[in-house]
Amino acid sequence: MNKVLLGLLVGAGLGALDGLTAWFTPEARSQIAGIVMGSTFKGLVAGVLIGLFARKVRSVPATLVFGTALGLLFAYFIAHMQGKYYFEIMLPGAIVGLLTGYATQRYGRNSQTAAA
Amino acid sequence: MRLGDAALDRLRDAVRAPDLAGTRYRLVGPLGAGGMGAVFEAEDELLGRRVALKVVDVPLDGEAPAEALLEEALVLARLEHPGLVPVHDAGRLPDGRAFYAMKLVKGERLDAHLGHVALLKERLRLFLRVCEPVAFAHANGILHRDLKPSNVMVGPFGEVLVLDWGLARPLAGAGGGGGAGTPGFMAPEEARGEPVDTRADVYGLGALLDAMLRVAPAPPRPKALASIAARAMAPDRDKRYSDVPALAADVARFLDGERVEAHVEGPFERAGRVVKRHRVAVGLVAAYLLTRGLFILFRH
Amino acid sequence: MTRFPDTRGSLVAAMRSPDEATRARALSTLAEAYWKPIYTYVRLKAGREHEEAADLTQEFFARLVEKDWLARFDASKARLRTYLRVLADGLVANESKAKGRVKRGGGLQILSLDFDAVRREAEEHRAAGELSPEDFFEKEWVRSVFSMAVERFRETCVADGKELRFALFSAYDLEGDAAVERPRYEGLARRFGTTAVDVTNQLAAARRDFRRIVLELLRELTVSDAEFRLEARALLGIEPST
Repeated sequence: MNKVLLGLLVGAGLGALDGLTAWFTPEARSQIAGIVMGSTFKGLVAGVLIGLFARKVRSVPATLVFGTALGLLFAYFIAHMQGKYYFEIMLPGAIVGLLTGYATQRYGRNSQTAAA
Repeated sequence: MRLGDAALDRLRDAVRAPDLAGTRYRLVGPLGAGGMGAVFEAEDELLGRRVALKVVDVPLDGEAPAEALLEEALVLARLEHPGLVPVHDAGRLPDGRAFYAMKLVKGERLDAHLGHVALLKERLRLFLRVCEPVAFAHANGILHRDLKPSNVMVGPFGEVLVLDWGLARPLAGAGGGGGAGTPGFMAPEEARGEPVDTRADVYGLGALLDAMLRVAPAPPRPKALASIAARAMAPDRDKRYSDVPALAADVARFLDGERVEAHVEGPFERAGRVVKRHRVAVGLVAAYLLTRGLFILFRH
Repeated sequence: MTRFPDTRGSLVAAMRSPDEATRARALSTLAEAYWKPIYTYVRLKAGREHEEAADLTQEFFARLVEKDWLARFDASKARLRTYLRVLADGLVANESKAKGRVKRGGGLQILSLDFDAVRREAEEHRAAGELSPEDFFEKEWVRSVFSMAVERFRETCVADGKELRFALFSAYDLEGDAAVERPRYEGLARRFGTTAVDVTNQLAAARRDFRRIVLELLRELTVSDAEFRLEARALLGIEPST
């Protein structure tokens, strides 16, 4: 599977799961559908970006750093919209970004580009 | 007349040394003894380089050893591969002994080398590199028939060389060797003197793999590898790997943490292997779950 | 593998020949190769004194003929060299049991052997005691074989009018002990009135001839192809490196 598609799927999947964990927070339970959709979309966008980066750079450490940073950034936006739970949102977000970055490099293939 | 000790030593040295008079080689010293001859280091004065000379040590009445040595040279000369020693020259010395000159490789025998290779993965990578020239020879229609640790040399730059092709035979109609190989490394059908095919070398490589895993300091030997060696060494050759690449591929699968063909694994063994193979991803997921779990726990 | 008949050229076969002269020649060659090893072995292993060991050595060869010991030799089980050493062990053991029995007289000394040089050697060795009696037996055997080969080589050279070759061989390979530096080819050339190139060629040819003679002799002193190869490797081959 190519890295971009893999990033998309992993990012969306992990985003959906991450959103579902909001169910454990009783006050957020009523808005669970919106949270899951938002989280999935956030993960999907982050995943595609990480996949693109992984395809371009092909360096595992760089992709890990990029994934973590992107995860942190997106989680920061979410936390900022909420105005609270910065730590609870950003730490798992960073791990998900790291995991997505790792997955794209470890399991993704470079799409066949036209060779000279 | 009675010879003194010094004269005796000189005479022994004189008759042991190959007679290089009138050749392009100048003797440097003995290197070791091989299957049917002794190996000497010599200086090739024409090209100004050191070579190894393999010389039939005892000429018998029959031409058999000389023929066998020259046959070995022919086999090696036909096979050009980084895992095989290049032959430079062959012929007869002035004293009538057959010889051939090959590249001088100053390395360690595999069994000695393994003494300072403690990691299982390193040993397996070495094993795969032994498989390469053997598979290459098979592709060119040649069987080795005497694969064992003492016939593999590891050079100073990590190059792996399969030596001693003295028992090598063309694949077509190989057989009737009458068990000329080494007990413990020789396929049963070969010991019985029956016709052999590439699977006889698969057996030899299986025995070699097994031996490589036992040289001290022996790393722990996973069951899957024991199964690979056991399949390669199956007494019934139809139950072995069909060829050397198939054996090598199974070892490579083990190295990659994939399921090996030769081994039926239990559920826990399988789970253990999958987790080990994906340990970074599994670790990251676990870290994620842990942080999420802790946050949920401390929220309440 | 069976490129030559099992006992071709072998002394063991010649010892049992119907022809008296062949038998005598075979015994004399066998004795020449083995009497010193056996004498020193009896002295070192059984601790016998000179007179007794010399008698036992004579006795050994007498019995070898009388009792046809070689008929029982099985080349697939042992080397001739080992078989003869074990026979010597047996002889010494039996002799000890039958102490005091009538000593064999001079008439039974079927060989004329000069024990003086080897006596000194054995006594010196007994004092130093570096090698086991078995190893010393082997070493003496090698020495006997090479000594016989040198003698044969000398005879061949004389017969072929190649005295210079033997003289050079002797000067370069035989003379002087280990501490003495080998003579240089130029020095030998001056000494023998020839050229250094000739010395090089003569010495190379001498070694080639000598090697061939050693192998011929070994062929006689062994029984089977396999034993010949074993002994030839022990004598001429290089030991497998460890």
